Amino acid sequence: MNKSDVKIVVIIILLAGFSYIIFNLVKENGNTAFVYYEDKIILTIDLNINKEYVVQGLLGDVVIEVKDKNIRVKEESSPKHLCSLQGYTDSSSKPIICLPNKIVIKVGGGDDIDGVVY
Amino acid sequence: MKTKRITTISMLTAISVVIAIIESYFTFLNGIVPGLKLGLANIIIVFALYNYDFKTSLLISVMRVIIVSLVRTGFGLNFFFSLGGAIFSIVAMSLVKKTKLSIVGVSVVGSVFHGIGQVLVGSIILNNHYVIYYLPYLLLLSIPTGVLIGIIAKRILSYDILKLMNNEKK
Repeated sequence: MNKSDVKIVVIIILLAGFSYIIFNLVKENGNTAFVYYEDKIILTIDLNINKEYVVQGLLGDVVIEVKDKNIRVKEESSPKHLCSLQGYTDSSSKPIICLPNKIVIKVGGGDDIDGVVY
Repeated sequence: MKTKRITTISMLTAISVVIAIIESYFTFLNGIVPGLKLGLANIIIVFALYNYDFKTSLLISVMRVIIVSLVRTGFGLNFFFSLGGAIFSIVAMSLVKKTKLSIVGVSVVGSVFHGIGQVLVGSIILNNHYVIYYLPYLLLLSIPTGVLIGIIAKRILSYDILKLMNNEKK
């Protein structure tokens, strides 16, 4: 490793730190979770109620579980089951993304401006 | 010379396919970034980029993605994900290769752009920008993997495989 290698590593670390701080500044720990299929909200979940929900993903049913204000994907059909391995989340900076099923679960506040497209 | 080129490309492709398939059984840090891998198959890509040229390494990389999809993951969304990452990473590496960066730095840049390419493709496929929240973790984690791959590729290059092959012929 020479000097310019070290420089590029430092730049990347700074970029990572910077983006991490920005994402944490804009994050919201709301009481609502939004379930997206592609870019459409298909389900809005109240995180105060412990309950299980089932939505239709691209490859089949996706079972979503809410427990103590946390949300996770309990069961889904996909090649590697990555989004159920991801476990619980409670903040908007850690969305759950099921790429094979085209399902995204994001925690947010009351009004989710990002979800509206005119 | 043409036969030799075809043979070399197919051998390198075969090696990277085998590495990628073995590696696809081992994912770690699933709680932070789902499906994170070391990307050891990129050793071959970095090697090809330094020993041959951009075209050769692009060819090997694209063929690897197609073959791995064929035998393991299928041509679903994962395919476009891998393809986007692979192409982004090679283009970035060939661009920074001409600068003062050593092979380790080039490999780190390739690793970082592999992540960026995947995030971009993911955003386009899902039509939704939330994939971008993985970016800080991806950037940070691609440094150790990039350094590791760079060091291994450097070791392999130091054996001067081209010379070994030519000697065998005599």
